[in-house]
Amino acid sequence: MATANPTTLPDDPKLRGDVVLDEQTGGREPLVRGDYTFHDITERVLAVNEKPIAQTPSPFKFGIALAAAGFAMFGGYVGYLIWEGPGIWGNNTPVAWAWDIVNFVFWVGIGHAGTLISAILYLFRQKWRTSINRYAEAMTIFAVLAAGSCVVLHTGRVWMDYYLFPIPNQMGLWPNFRSPLEWDVFAVNTYLTVSLLFWFTGLVPDFATLRDRATVKWRRLFYGILSLGWRGSMRHWVTYEKAYQILAGFSAPLVLSVHTIVSFDFAVSQLPGWHTTIFPPYFVAGAIFSGFAMVLTLMIPAREWLGLKDLVTVKHIENMNKIILVTGSMVGYAYGMEFFVAAYSGNQYEGFTFINRAGGPYWWAYWIMMTCNVITPQLFWFKKFRTNVKLTFVLSIFVNIGMWFERFVITVTSLHRDALVSSWDYFVPVTEVLFLTGTFGLFFFLFLLFIRFFPVMAMSEVKGVMPQANPHWEGYQHGQHGHGASGAVPAGAVAQKDL
Amino acid sequence: MSENIPTWGLLAQYEDPHSIYQACEQVRDAGYQQWDACAPFPVHGLDRAMGVKPSRLPWIVLVVGLVGSALGLWLQAWTSGSAYPFITGGKPLFSLPAFVPVWYEMTVLASCLAAFFGNWILNGLPRLHHPAFASRAFERATDDKFFIMIEAADPKFDLAQTEALLKSTGATHVEVLEP
Amino acid sequence: MSHHEIQKPTDITIPDTSLFAKLPVIGGVLAVVGLGATLGSAMGADKARAMFSYLWAFESVLALVLGAFGFLVIDITVRSQWSIVVRRIAETMQATLPFFFVLWLPIALIGMHELYPWTHETDAILERKRWFLSTGFWWGRAIVYFVLWTVISRFLYTSSVKLDGLGDNQAEKDKIIKRTWAVAAPGILIYALTQSFAAVDWMMSLQPHWYSTIYGVYYFSSSILVFFAVTTLVSMALQRAGVLKTAITPEHFHDLGKFTFGFVIFWAYIAFSQFILIWYANIPEETEFYMLRMEGGWQWVSYALPVLHFALPFLYLVSRQVKRARWPLALGCVWLVLMHLLDMYWLILPAYGAHGGGEHHAHLAVSWLDFAALLGMVGAFLAVFGFLLKKNKVIAINDPRLADSLAHENY
Repeated sequence: MATANPTTLPDDPKLRGDVVLDEQTGGREPLVRGDYTFHDITERVLAVNEKPIAQTPSPFKFGIALAAAGFAMFGGYVGYLIWEGPGIWGNNTPVAWAWDIVNFVFWVGIGHAGTLISAILYLFRQKWRTSINRYAEAMTIFAVLAAGSCVVLHTGRVWMDYYLFPIPNQMGLWPNFRSPLEWDVFAVNTYLTVSLLFWFTGLVPDFATLRDRATVKWRRLFYGILSLGWRGSMRHWVTYEKAYQILAGFSAPLVLSVHTIVSFDFAVSQLPGWHTTIFPPYFVAGAIFSGFAMVLTLMIPAREWLGLKDLVTVKHIENMNKIILVTGSMVGYAYGMEFFVAAYSGNQYEGFTFINRAGGPYWWAYWIMMTCNVITPQLFWFKKFRTNVKLTFVLSIFVNIGMWFERFVITVTSLHRDALVSSWDYFVPVTEVLFLTGTFGLFFFLFLLFIRFFPVMAMSEVKGVMPQANPHWEGYQHGQHGHGASGAVPAGAVAQKDL
Repeated sequence: MSENIPTWGLLAQYEDPHSIYQACEQVRDAGYQQWDACAPFPVHGLDRAMGVKPSRLPWIVLVVGLVGSALGLWLQAWTSGSAYPFITGGKPLFSLPAFVPVWYEMTVLASCLAAFFGNWILNGLPRLHHPAFASRAFERATDDKFFIMIEAADPKFDLAQTEALLKSTGATHVEVLEP
Repeated sequence: MSHHEIQKPTDITIPDTSLFAKLPVIGGVLAVVGLGATLGSAMGADKARAMFSYLWAFESVLALVLGAFGFLVIDITVRSQWSIVVRRIAETMQATLPFFFVLWLPIALIGMHELYPWTHETDAILERKRWFLSTGFWWGRAIVYFVLWTVISRFLYTSSVKLDGLGDNQAEKDKIIKRTWAVAAPGILIYALTQSFAAVDWMMSLQPHWYSTIYGVYYFSSSILVFFAVTTLVSMALQRAGVLKTAITPEHFHDLGKFTFGFVIFWAYIAFSQFILIWYANIPEETEFYMLRMEGGWQWVSYALPVLHFALPFLYLVSRQVKRARWPLALGCVWLVLMHLLDMYWLILPAYGAHGGGEHHAHLAVSWLDFAALLGMVGAFLAVFGFLLKKNKVIAINDPRLADSLAHENY
């Protein structure tokens, strides 16, 4: 029995995604709650995309107007920045790197969850990823764009930025490939390119669905071109799946390499607080941590507003909270290891840096970081908190804040106490708040456009993990067609497999 | 159905993965070569039921990846060591450890570009027109229905016999596709 | 995946005639001879050399057992399904952990002075490290590690074995399994901390001036890698001995191979991260570690490791065919076990003869003691491992996820 109207939530509360099911010691919880046909999935996921432009819901219009205002403000700020130069920031010796780099690392870190969910969870056969991967991939791309705008602008003379690329020029100059900043250029650009390819590849079959259901000409044309004429041919799927697998296989180490190289920007120096060997894995863990937090921050309201609670269930949220707990603890391990080794090393400079971090002029930044990144995520040890959607939302914002402050702590507090005591200084931001707000405007503007026009869920993949997608599913022996078994939970997914 | 109308092939519709899986096995066993199945998602094992060979894509990726890798290392070695020799950070002109990151990124970039474009090229996409797109029923191929199409170019194709075969495999709807 | 035709395996106890049944005796003899010879030499003029060999053998085998422990707590926590058919092997490996306390004692009681310069030397740096590197604290920490390891590893092992006899008693099974879930999750935290600090205490402090925050992760990467390689080999050996012949399929070997492959990359990533940061910054306190390994023949090991421990196995194991074929995969795993031994050798042995902080005289010189210690240590491990493997079933036959594991397919 399919629900009568697939765009409203089912009556049975067990089918709604907010009910926590008891975990079974055998088998797994169904990934999609509710007794849906493949067609129901299509209807539900595309409900927002297929609304005529004029009928865009008003909260959405309001959101996009707000984001567009932020984005426009960013445009103005960038104009001012290029006109005046980076002097409009409060950066000065000894704190020559401040919010520009903090924002860059913050955004590029957020950009890691998408590819992680897509690639690493794919390689680990974590099928629950199908409900959230599209979302997270989009987030990745927009976050990397926000990050990119920070680094592109922080060079000062942005019209000279092309020197970062190995382009033959009349002066016979080449970039310095021994510089970690140059590695960054390659890493971030490769990451952006590969993330786009990966995202687009996943979108093609779903664009085809939108094309085939289009009722107006511009939609048929728009999605027709984007879908490249995809027709779901099984011969195509074979190569397509191989390509997806290969892209996933390369993206997984790529995701690690990008934040590793970002960490090299700091760690190859000799500065205490920057130079420490655990930086690469520690940055990667932190990036995944912040990325998952951002996915939650974006997804919890979206599943509510788009009515997708039975496709993104509380189980998905719990799983992500588990990853937050694990990566948060890894980050905590790294904070601890840094402190321990600073003490163990017997090196006074190391020791001073870390004592100054926790108790110096920037003690507040350090303790915000510790509270948001290490202490509050520990609540997720308890299932009660992990499955509490509202609390999760609050804590995910805490993590976003904490991870921004982590980059602030690393960048600014390590710099403000120079080796030369006379140059010690305290960093005061001037107009950077506008800079940070502006990147949020850019990010949310693109993200809301994505939600409005692109399928927020990988429909073909969600269909592929439903029990009836398996041609040998038990239900077919009982003469059911295309439906899950009736009842609260599709039988094929959780029933104990008896031997 | 008259023999006079130019025929591109036959299109048969199925309702679920189970029935198309069995139908594909039967079409394959009947000896057809130029035929295809369409589904809204990759049905697990259907490629084997159809007798599709594994993709050649990994080999393309391997070759292009290796070329990109070599190019990445050569670019750094040549620019830093020969075209613009300049000591920085007290490191030798050819400092392999410092070249590893860009070397690696170039390998990944080349491989991923190969996987992406190779996928579309091997599949003959983009191809915005296809005879099946003329069918109204086929609009559900990207939603929830499953299709088999057998081309008239297949040596075993015979309009009446093929149609009978498709109907016997549990197709709920069979239609002729024009070129 | 159609589950109905898959049967529960029946070849689940080791036959008395197989080599596995004789492991306690064979391993015991090897242990007595090998460790006896090593520790015997440690009483004489070769004391320092013998203890370095002993420490190397100990850390190499401990890496395997700790790798099994780490794998198990993670595997339970993520509710893995594919791994159930080989999980008992990991459970049995980590169940030997308590026994490693006995094997550790000679390091503390006999060789501590020879191995660890901070026990008797002093200078300005060492004075500032005294709060951590002092004999009493060092002992105390080791006791804490072993107590935690013993308690958790015993609990996980006995819980799993208890399931074997429960048949269809679902309520009782659920109770036990949920208890292991509750222990395994914090177990990851305990594992991460104890294995990192154990690596600092027993290996990093061999060169007491040197420090690296990634060291614990490095040891983790080596240990989890050798665990996957050895588990693959043990699974194959068990099948040759006539058990689990149908339960462990090429699908499982494919997964074990993928993990082995993945951790080859992870090891290289961690090793490279540590190296490039120290090489690039070029700070004397840190370069000491690599300087020592770039002279007296050690440079060849340093050059060989990236090629033989990473590049070759990477190119070899990347192939799907290799991971799914018995002999080729076995070859790769044997190679990686050898590389693990070389890696540990490279970590530990250069410190021999490099005491004093001033003039370093590290020469790569393999001694017969290395072989004696390794054979003895492996023998000791195999004796306990073989005994436990024979005592209980070689597969968690009653695990509710077994059916999924048996039917496992890669995509």
